Amino acid sequence: MAGVAADDSAFSSAEKQAIARHGPWPQPVLRDPSNRGSGNADAIALGRALFFDARLSVKGDMACATCHQPARGLADGRDRAQGRERLDRNTPGLWNVGLAHWFGWDGAADSLWSFALRPILNSLELGATPAHVAKVLGGDPAYACLRRNAFGKAAATKASDDQMMVDAAKALAAFMETLNSGKSPFDELHDVLARGDAAAVAQYPADARRGLRIFAGRGNCAVCHFGPNFSNGEFHEIGIPYLLGAGRVDAGRQGGIKAVRADKFNLLGAFSDDASRASGSRTRHVTENHANFGQFKVPSLRNVELTAPYMHNGKLATLRDVVHHYSELSEDRLHQDGEALLKPLRLTDAEADDLVAFLRTLTSRQFPAVAPPLKPTCEPRK
Amino acid sequence: MKRPHLNQALVVAALPILAGSGLAWADCEATAGARRVEGRDVVLAFKTRPAKIKVGELFAVDVTVCPKKGTVKGVAVDASMPEHKHGMNYKPTVKKNATEGFTATGMMFHMPGRWQFAFEVDSTAGRERLLDTVAVD
Ligand code: HEC
Ligand code: HEC
Repeated sequence: MAGVAADDSAFSSAEKQAIARHGPWPQPVLRDPSNRGSGNADAIALGRALFFDARLSVKGDMACATCHQPARGLADGRDRAQGRERLDRNTPGLWNVGLAHWFGWDGAADSLWSFALRPILNSLELGATPAHVAKVLGGDPAYACLRRNAFGKAAATKASDDQMMVDAAKALAAFMETLNSGKSPFDELHDVLARGDAAAVAQYPADARRGLRIFAGRGNCAVCHFGPNFSNGEFHEIGIPYLLGAGRVDAGRQGGIKAVRADKFNLLGAFSDDASRASGSRTRHVTENHANFGQFKVPSLRNVELTAPYMHNGKLATLRDVVHHYSELSEDRLHQDGEALLKPLRLTDAEADDLVAFLRTLTSRQFPAVAPPLKPTCEPRK
Repeated sequence: MKRPHLNQALVVAALPILAGSGLAWADCEATAGARRVEGRDVVLAFKTRPAKIKVGELFAVDVTVCPKKGTVKGVAVDASMPEHKHGMNYKPTVKKNATEGFTATGMMFHMPGRWQFAFEVDSTAGRERLLDTVAVD
């Protein structure tokens, strides 16, 4: 290393390639074939209203937005979520969640809509029943109208409570698919590098540039935090303790695979709108192995600055703590030989600051407004 | 079926169900975009669909097996990252195609780096494991 000054020089072609892999941004969110409300304006309007509507909870006092707060990167700022009781896991932010294939830290759901059923039904969260959700949907004329427009007249007249609840979840998913954050300073770097605009490249801060070199280089971070959304979409173990105390453990992916297979709302089941079931390929082929125990989903790092504390159990308070974790990693703690690529990085304080500076450049400059809607309106369609 | 001298073309004609495996080994010469692996008893050619493997995305592999002797009974397909000592998180299913060869669906490489395909070929000449390594980025 030729020192800090040399690190400010132009990116090598290998570095340019590494940067190119994290773009372009935004990525298109494809329509979800398992959800006939996906991309439908009325389903999105219904989902947006439901996301903020505490009537969906059995006691009328909790909504999705209680934990997924727009002012906090659609997370809650807590280490572990607070429902009726303290939950076992950290609330993830929901920006760009439509790009994922598995949902929940353990990937216990294979679609955004089937994930949404979990907080609806969980007695420690909204604690609702299908009948309760059906009553909320049927009892509000605007909701009933939006639902009929989005999901069809036949579905509206003779739907079971389960079907009504699934429609609510699909509307919530259609809304969450629109939660796409705009370009970040990193994306601006990506774009100007692609154009070869050297003056504009120089705008990217020097500390973040040094951090980016660690991220894409000897840090090996980009192997798991891969691609435009900084996640390979899969599950790994990075030595975060999974003991929950009192003899309980969070089995992570191992439990997630069992749960998704047993789930009657999974993509291979009767509630998927994808007649071909092609969207269920991951679920059909996913396989369990001993390494799944204690693995958790690789989170996207976009907007990560907004959603402290970190990790599935919120154990690390700041990005500096996260970088310290990777820097001082205890190899004995990594129980699987699979992650041979994780080695303590032994970063200097200055390097750790650089890596944090890089992570902060992943925060978008623009976000679509996510405010509680005024009472939604609806014009019945023929 | 211990008749190694039997003309492959005749096998195809007589047993259409084995059509996928009844190719002469010249059929596994490098065709456009296919990778070729030569083993003891068989030569194997494969192509991925899509041609460029994307990290974290499912893909399929079309496999043609050309026996040097005997006839092919089946193929199992798997892959791993030798440096990381882990395999795939998905278990592919292999089906024999109506016209030619086999297709494995449900493959996924979830990290960039070196991945090694492993084809386990079962033929009347015996079992054989053929390996081929590709770089994914
Ligand atoms: C009590 C707090 C709380 C409430 C209320 C809540 N969530 Fe969550 N949310 C969480 C936690 C904690 C997780 C992680 C759960 C896990 O890994 O099992 C999560 C995860 C998610 C995920 C998965 C994100 C990912 O990246 O995998 C989605 C989607 C989601 N919630 C949507 C919703 C919706 C929709 C509602 C309302 C119906 C809702 N949540 C209500 C706390 C909450
Ligand atoms: C082997 C795959 C892997 C590698 C390599 C890796 N990560 Fe991670 N990362 C993960 C997983 C898995 C989690 C979640 C772990 C958990 O909650 O138990 C995570 C979590 C994080 C988080 C917390 C995000 C949040 O929302 O809670 C940050 C920040 C992060 N990683 C940054 C990095 C940096 C910086 C590097 C390189 C020094 C790196 N990661 C290398 C897999 C990886």
